[in-house]
Amino acid sequence: MSTALQKAVEFIFSGSALLKDIIGVTLRMSLASSLAALLIGVPLGIILGSGSFPGKRILIVLNRTLMGLPPVVCGLLCYLMFCGVGPLRHLKLLYTVKGMVIAQIILITPIVVGMMEPFISSVYPSMRETARGLGISRRRTLGLVINESRYQIISTYLMALSRALAEVGAVSMVGGAIAYKTNVMTTAIMNFTNMGNFTTALALGIILLAISLAVNIVVSLMQGGADR
Amino acid sequence: MKKYISLILVLIMAFSLCACTSNAPEETATPEVTEAPASVDLEILVEQDDSMINTYSLLAVNDKASFVDADGNAVNDVELNTAGADALINWLLSDEGKRLAADYGYAEYGEFLFYMLENAPASEGVIPNATEETKTVRLSTTTSVNDSGLLGYLLPIFQKEYGYEVEVFSAGTGKAIANAKMGNADVILVHAKAQEEAFVEEGFARVIEGMDAERLSYMYNFFVLCGPAADPAGVKSAEDVLAAFKLIADGGYTFVSRGDGSGTHTKELALWPAELGITAEQESFADYTEWYVSSNAGMGVCLTMANEQGAYILSDKATFLTFCANDGVLPEA
Repeated sequence: MSTALQKAVEFIFSGSALLKDIIGVTLRMSLASSLAALLIGVPLGIILGSGSFPGKRILIVLNRTLMGLPPVVCGLLCYLMFCGVGPLRHLKLLYTVKGMVIAQIILITPIVVGMMEPFISSVYPSMRETARGLGISRRRTLGLVINESRYQIISTYLMALSRALAEVGAVSMVGGAIAYKTNVMTTAIMNFTNMGNFTTALALGIILLAISLAVNIVVSLMQGGADR
Repeated sequence: MKKYISLILVLIMAFSLCACTSNAPEETATPEVTEAPASVDLEILVEQDDSMINTYSLLAVNDKASFVDADGNAVNDVELNTAGADALINWLLSDEGKRLAADYGYAEYGEFLFYMLENAPASEGVIPNATEETKTVRLSTTTSVNDSGLLGYLLPIFQKEYGYEVEVFSAGTGKAIANAKMGNADVILVHAKAQEEAFVEEGFARVIEGMDAERLSYMYNFFVLCGPAADPAGVKSAEDVLAAFKLIADGGYTFVSRGDGSGTHTKELALWPAELGITAEQESFADYTEWYVSSNAGMGVCLTMANEQGAYILSDKATFLTFCANDGVLPEA
């Protein structure tokens, strides 16, 4: 542990181009995929939580199933779609950050929906009653709902981001862990482990945790601001 | 409720603290080693046997090949960068490329890691500079050339000189070839003759200009049988490598197999006594699981495993020397 910690600190201050690139790709990928998943998932969660339409329960069950989609299965499906003989080959997404982001969106969106839906369905009925009584339009009610759930949205985003940062199965298949292109923290850790280089792998793990900690601190501060 | 949560948190923290402190004595025992606490007890026991030659071949993927998708439907418009592939192959087979590969490792390890075949195809073709369309070359290759650091040494020189960008996808030979069959590679560099010939047979390779065959075997090194220095099976005194493998199998000494369809795995399968019937199929070694460890992992992990278990292992010499020279880890690519 202590050698790995020392190595992690050395690694950070060495300004290694490899490390910079890996961190850059990791952040680019996980920020893009978590934000996109949030933008898609939050409206879906609000619709599922507040609406009442036939098939709603089925959709909720389907979504809960997708929340458990194993990343490797998602990665395999994306690989087969994007690869040189796959139906989406012309988009040239295999071994690109874009392709990795798409795979992650598929993985994370159901989680975002699954975290928003129960919250909305617990606060919406009473809010709708109040809004009706005050004669507030549907549109503004929805605005109120979003305002009311901002705390939940932030926690959901954190969940999505940490999932994106920690994910390895899908990104290693779609990204191929190509050095200086699609190698992210988790796949680099895998590579180093495969080479028997456990210390460097652990050092990268420590750095990844530190990034996660930093992001969480920033968001917690924001959340505190949103709270008051 | 809150009480329980905090109780659980305290427990988790206590556990992780225990884990940290229990690790500490190991590290203090070897203070002079700054890398992982591993020290290598493996050594080369059988080598330079004719049946242990490990030949690497370059193959350009054929863009006109009959690619099929996962459902078996034909796909006719797989896009490959043939010009970039030609450039990379021509450079690797040029005097410069060969000289660099042949010299690689001597300065660091005091031994040559790769040798050039005497009848290796030579390229005198002019290598065009990269253009926007031909810039990205996808090379699907085996872990040994990547993990030994050879590609990390060669490719930057090629890229700087001609402006290409080579994307290296590194996996066992089996996976590297499968990846090319899915249309994800322009060039492959692998080391398993039978699998390469099947690849050519199926029409996935093409002959590049100025060459007379699809399969361009150009460099080699040796596989080596490694094991604990004490050599409990006594393979050192074996007549040849086949006899050595028989000794291991007869005595039931632990052997770590790559088990991943790589070139090293393919070679190993050919060295076991035929009557054992060990093949790539999992059922074939079901009776030998007490000593035959099929790990399905890369060379570095397998070497670490063998080192920890005092097991025998087949490795390519380049990776093994790199592994030993770095105290039981492979260097950062």
